Amino acid sequence: MSELQGSEGTTQRLPVIEKAEYEPPPVQEFEGGREGRFWSARRVPAAVVAVLLLAVTGTFLYDIAAVRAHRPAMAWRRELAHQLATRPLDDTWVLVGAGVAAVLGLWLLLLAATPGLRAVLPMRRPEADVRAGLHREAAALALRDRAMEVAGVQSVRVRMGRARADVRAVAHFRELGDVRADLNEILDEAIRGLGLSRPPSLSVHVRRPGRKG
Amino acid sequence: MLRIVNRVLIGIVGLVLLVVGGSVLAIGLGAPAPSWWIHNGRHDVLLSNAERTKWQDHGWWWPTVIAALAVLVLLALWWLTAVLRRRRLTEVLVDTGDGEGALLRGRALEGVLASEAGELDGVAQAHAHLTGTRTAPEARVHLLLEPHVDPSTALHHLAVQALTHARNSAGLEKMPAEVRMKAVKHRQERVS
Repeated sequence: MSELQGSEGTTQRLPVIEKAEYEPPPVQEFEGGREGRFWSARRVPAAVVAVLLLAVTGTFLYDIAAVRAHRPAMAWRRELAHQLATRPLDDTWVLVGAGVAAVLGLWLLLLAATPGLRAVLPMRRPEADVRAGLHREAAALALRDRAMEVAGVQSVRVRMGRARADVRAVAHFRELGDVRADLNEILDEAIRGLGLSRPPSLSVHVRRPGRKG
Repeated sequence: MLRIVNRVLIGIVGLVLLVVGGSVLAIGLGAPAPSWWIHNGRHDVLLSNAERTKWQDHGWWWPTVIAALAVLVLLALWWLTAVLRRRRLTEVLVDTGDGEGALLRGRALEGVLASEAGELDGVAQAHAHLTGTRTAPEARVHLLLEPHVDPSTALHHLAVQALTHARNSAGLEKMPAEVRMKAVKHRQERVS
């Protein structure tokens, strides 16, 4: 590692790929405080809104320009003007349309203001300029696999929330209390192994097979 | 960058829809309208002929409308192409240290990064994608983790090996990276 850092910034020496010795798992980690959420680029809603905006403005521009060039206006524009001028605000269709527009607007505002990517949990940075995120299902699978290592556990279901990992295990032998203690211990370690910036709190439920609850 | 543009524009469109729709809804349901607002009561129409043709006789009206619409069309067109175009870095400028530079194909660096990341312990599949500029490239790496791997260990290996090698071999001071990890789906099984 030190050789690698020594060669940073210059390419006089050839990169030292063959010198890459294996390093044991992370010890020193970049301490950069808590990581923020991943923010989605909102590509799909942006594309949809852009297409609609283009269609509406393009049609109006075409028709208005055509009328300016002394061609007759298209029928839909006369019809639209007529409807706008005759329907009162308390007309049912006007109200329905206004309601739809308001809901749509609120939804777009929410899309614009919220991070999205709820499935990606931010991880601690291994280095200052490496940002990483772990998908929730991956975190749940990792916890489930570790929980299966506990003696007596027959099956496990893990629900990974953004702040809480909910583990439900079925144990077919050993005392439930012992199994729960083991689970708590191994899962605490597993959660540390996830390397999340905000480790979720753990809730463990153990029961016997065949009974609900 | 595109993220901010997208969010601002979506927000503006949403705000317009919300204000227009909400005000029509409120006034249509009987809320009192302020005197300066475009609608003055529930029996008013959305846009009367008088309102629509108010400025039509002025010379500036139609050019203004057409210019505004043209600007909106161009904006929408630019936005759509920006959203649809996948930014991919075609080449990276390698500073050879002797005052000259060399161009490294972006795909080559992506390929090296992805294959080295894919060979790491516990990584089933890796994808790399370069963005940014040719002097300051940024990497996006997607990893598919194998079962029974600690994500933090895999991330550490990626940072220390694949990312560091890619950065050094391109002679870059730094190469910010964004990593996303998923896991291979598998059934639960007893390890022992």
